[in-house]
Amino acid sequence: MGLPLFSASDDPGPSFFHFAQSTGLTPPVSNASATSAHATTIIAVRYDGGVVMVGDRQATGNYIASRDVRKIEAADRFTAIAISGTAARGIEFIRMAQLSFEHYEKMTDTALSLEGKANYLSPIIQRNNLSSPLLVLPLLAGWDTTLQVGRIFEYDGAGGCYERFDFSTIGSGTPFAEGTLRLGFNADLDRDAAIELGALAIYEAGDNDPSTGGPDFVRNLFPMIVTISREGFQELEHEDVAQRFRVINERRTQSGGVAGGSLR
Amino acid sequence: MSSYFYVAPEQLIRDRAEFAQKGIARGRSIVGAIFDNGVVLVAENPSASLFKISEIYDRIAFAGVGKYNEFDRLREAGIRWADSTGFTYSRGDVDVRALANYYAQHLGDMFTEGQKPLEVEILVAQLGNTTRPTKLYRVAYEGTISDEPRFAVLGGDAETIKARFAASEDTLESLTLTLKNAVGALAGPDRIIEVGDLEVGILEDRGNRRTFSRLNDDQVSELLR
Repeated sequence: MGLPLFSASDDPGPSFFHFAQSTGLTPPVSNASATSAHATTIIAVRYDGGVVMVGDRQATGNYIASRDVRKIEAADRFTAIAISGTAARGIEFIRMAQLSFEHYEKMTDTALSLEGKANYLSPIIQRNNLSSPLLVLPLLAGWDTTLQVGRIFEYDGAGGCYERFDFSTIGSGTPFAEGTLRLGFNADLDRDAAIELGALAIYEAGDNDPSTGGPDFVRNLFPMIVTISREGFQELEHEDVAQRFRVINERRTQSGGVAGGSLR
Repeated sequence: MSSYFYVAPEQLIRDRAEFAQKGIARGRSIVGAIFDNGVVLVAENPSASLFKISEIYDRIAFAGVGKYNEFDRLREAGIRWADSTGFTYSRGDVDVRALANYYAQHLGDMFTEGQKPLEVEILVAQLGNTTRPTKLYRVAYEGTISDEPRFAVLGGDAETIKARFAASEDTLESLTLTLKNAVGALAGPDRIIEVGDLEVGILEDRGNRRTFSRLNDDQVSELLR
């Protein structure tokens, strides 16, 4: 492409998405192809110093297509984006979000606010989901550098953006994860308790939802766990994650496969 | 019947060049230099928000002198070009030479065909890695592109500043020394530029994907001490 110069009246401004649309960089969407499964579980839990996000690693079509997909990515230093829905659209969505936030920052020399990022994604989701059967539903979590709190934003299929002050979960494993979160959540969770609750919730989802991958002790693959806090986006070490799931699994083995009326 | 006066092409080019040079000479200058661990761009700029130096891409920075609205539009076009090239292909495929060539073509077109030539001079710098070299490209108002081996000076008083900077050592030096030399060259022997009037941006590998950073007044004072 040549040098993209615009006159002041039709300049797309610092929005990369609008620029990409105006130049045909994003392909036009049509309503012609088959829909695909909504298979995933992503969990976000707020705690006193930020947000914990847990995501399974399995890509499911008619069979398991991959066991080590990353469904949570850093959109920038203080923001994480997770996706559920069609993989192709989800990956494009993450790339578009990452680039859009950076593009805005370079064009204007100021970073977008967390709320600004959350709202920016709404029309992109709407445009995709209302014009294509290849649905994508993201979950956005970040550290608000102005308010100094962790915040979670979830979306409906038409792009509506809703802030959640406790926890949120998306994907096909939602009913099972949500049940665990509802019982285990309280407003005073610290980082470790939030990680434990998130891990337990995804364990339940993996246990009951065929399209959510739980801990895979045979292949040594585990759901990914990240925290977004004052220190930014941080992914937990593999061994740390593995140990947490070994503990849960051991407890569950001892109780013969039932939760036993308590979260433990 | 309207009458046309014949103007020799040489005269036309001379007039346009003179017009552009006058516009550029009104602004203050910029020095861009390669140091032992990266690239530093130094501008004399009393404004703390209307920047002359900025980030284009992971390893590419931009500096412009002359009319602010004209070089700022070029800066925005550069960011758009780099971001969409990286989005279409891969981040590693964004190369400064292609961008410098686009700038040169555009400035050349505007010089010969535009209502008036752009009154700007720009510098694009790339921090090298294993696959690409560290580069400084200076693009003049009429589209002349030059590959500067160690440092480049843009702006009205370029030749004098260039002579002052070239008098310093010929090998790559530390950031501290390079910055001192650049500020000394911009100021000249009879003048001191306040730290608040300096705008400094560097490209340097510190383990991050994005290598550009602005130095604040405290950091600049520390380096110049």
